[in-house]
Amino acid sequence: MRHGLILWREDELSTADVKARQARLQAAIAAAGLDGVLIYTNHVRSAGVTWVSGFTPYWSDGLVLVLREGMPIFLTALSKRVGEWVKSVAPTFEVAHSPFPGKLAGERLAKVGAKRLGVVELDRMPGGVVDEIVSVLPLELSDATELFTGVRSQLDRAELNLVRMTDDIAREAFRAGDVTSKFAGDFTGPVERAVRLAGAEECYMAVAPDLSKDRRFIRSGKAELGRTFAVRLSIAYNGVWVRRIETFSAVSEIGARLSSVSAALDRASPAQPADGSISAFYLPDGAKLIDWHLEAPHGTRPLKIVADAETRLAVPVPYGILTTAFVLDDETIVASRPVGVGEKVLREAAE
Amino acid sequence: MIGEIRKKRLIEAMVDAGLDGLVLYGNAWQNDYLRYAADFGILEGEGLAVVTKDGDVTLYLDDELEGERASVECPEVKTVVADNLIETVSDVIGRLGNSRIAAGPKRHLPYGLAARRGDLRFEDATALVDRLLMVKTADELAAIRGAARLADEGYAIFRNAAAVGKKDYELIAEIESFFRNEGVDDNFMIIGVGGPEVRGMAPPLGKVLKPGDLVTTELTPCVNGYYVQICRTLVIGEPNEAQRKVFGIYNDALEAGLAVVKPGVTAADIARAENDIFRAHGLGDYVTSEYTRVRGHGLGLFPDTKPHILEDVNTVIEEGMSLIVHPNTYNPEIGYFVHGDSLIVRADGPEILTKTPRKLFSVDAKRAAA
Repeated sequence: MRHGLILWREDELSTADVKARQARLQAAIAAAGLDGVLIYTNHVRSAGVTWVSGFTPYWSDGLVLVLREGMPIFLTALSKRVGEWVKSVAPTFEVAHSPFPGKLAGERLAKVGAKRLGVVELDRMPGGVVDEIVSVLPLELSDATELFTGVRSQLDRAELNLVRMTDDIAREAFRAGDVTSKFAGDFTGPVERAVRLAGAEECYMAVAPDLSKDRRFIRSGKAELGRTFAVRLSIAYNGVWVRRIETFSAVSEIGARLSSVSAALDRASPAQPADGSISAFYLPDGAKLIDWHLEAPHGTRPLKIVADAETRLAVPVPYGILTTAFVLDDETIVASRPVGVGEKVLREAAE
Repeated sequence: MIGEIRKKRLIEAMVDAGLDGLVLYGNAWQNDYLRYAADFGILEGEGLAVVTKDGDVTLYLDDELEGERASVECPEVKTVVADNLIETVSDVIGRLGNSRIAAGPKRHLPYGLAARRGDLRFEDATALVDRLLMVKTADELAAIRGAARLADEGYAIFRNAAAVGKKDYELIAEIESFFRNEGVDDNFMIIGVGGPEVRGMAPPLGKVLKPGDLVTTELTPCVNGYYVQICRTLVIGEPNEAQRKVFGIYNDALEAGLAVVKPGVTAADIARAENDIFRAHGLGDYVTSEYTRVRGHGLGLFPDTKPHILEDVNTVIEEGMSLIVHPNTYNPEIGYFVHGDSLIVRADGPEILTKTPRKLFSVDAKRAAA
């Protein structure tokens, strides 16, 4: 559960950045003839609310109600005591408390005479919340996932910069891992320490302990590491999620080759477009691609697979994490890197 | 093994209740219902477990990476990855026909599932599953004892890492690193640093430890899915008189609460015993919801499970429950203060799990961060 540093960092994601996002969403709400949009959050379905407010809960859950005008409202069953903390880390919305946040949302909607409410991922909304809303006023509810995804997909320089910063944290943290570790936990412990010392909000680690046998990732720290192994590091920093997978070996000759491949990927990946294509992606000479997938923020999910060998990218994404698995010199290598965050994209986002 | 034991209990409870099927929701925040049936510690996305009275359990996940992990970590459970989780599970439930299906936890059940069920409606499985979650088997209690050992060791790491000049999140980095080294996959932890201005605990805010600060924390490592908690407070430097006096009140409250624990009492009885100590010192206002959330709670597959220890909760305490008693609240003289121990309820009273001494720890004010 989330328990790393949570701060409002104006220099990385400014109030103006967030207000611009809110304005874009409000324009889309009006254009769709809706009176407002409701977005659910808990610490695993946080991405929608984080994007629109900069806030991620560490505990419990909440709703953000975005009306056509005015500051969004965070509706939560959390206590007023915790509410003070929420305000200190997210000055971008009003915080309203109730043991029944859905009922409170209904009351706020009634106040503005709302008739049509869009709900991001309506099917996934906790049923009790929906019951509370409609107990206050009759509303036409519709799914606003597509509307939200459209607004969310626009390039945002602050977000792209944060993706690059977060990936830098991941790259540096991997240096703390000892490739001669016997067990997965021996390797991941120091890496996680480095991630958290760098001020990350959250860190998940998974390991494919012996790539000669299995490419699947697990969470067990007790797994014994094989000759080559891969580690998946998922980091949340200031609301942005990045994954980086690296492949390692305790055999120095293999390890050196893996380092060289990793460095080449670092040079090539940011400029790769996050468009679900793989054809232009860097692969070392002689490498044979086994598999790939692209992840991106989607709705309330911080990262979700949005394209792979069988599935084309259906909607544009703000950035992506491309994972590839390939064989080189008889060794299986798995790697993940952010894509769509190159200098050219950053310049376009600034314009 | 432990998963099989839980599944057997679940099926027996379903049969006793006359249910044909169960639908249990979970995510990484609240995974207890899902894990009880499917023994999977979900981390990303959401999951639903569908259980039939014949003993079939199918785990539906919406995240391919999690599906991959489930196939290794719980291979005995049939796992299906479905991008449209709600539609897929609704179709499965639809095929069960006009039978008695219950779902839970009620508060989290996705709207789309209930909407597609229409007039048939789900029965509420919350009470049935809550009872199984609260009253544990011997194997579950053994797992809880294992987690308690790591809670104590984790607090020792925390205490040793605390130093003047260290930032709160750096302390947490030490703990999490230790837990990963020990194979602990998850930990719920919040922290408070400072004096009377601190009204509660939260994730770290980047505060720097300085002489005189109280450093509060609750550590909740998860081992094989089971959480155990410890709450302690330490002082940077020698505790002052007020800090010592207040510690005495909280320690008395903790011991008063623990002394009441036995089968047959209620959660309210435990809370009242704790709160009466505060009231006797003229601190009755500080045991209300304005200053504190609960006076303890259940522990198990969720770090904050039922029963909540509050004066208005009349859940009867039973043998086999695991709880933490913690009279944590704000004190106007010195700030937010925490103190609590985990226990198992046995026939003759509490088996205290956490062994860290009940004292007001102090860290040498000359100990500086490296």
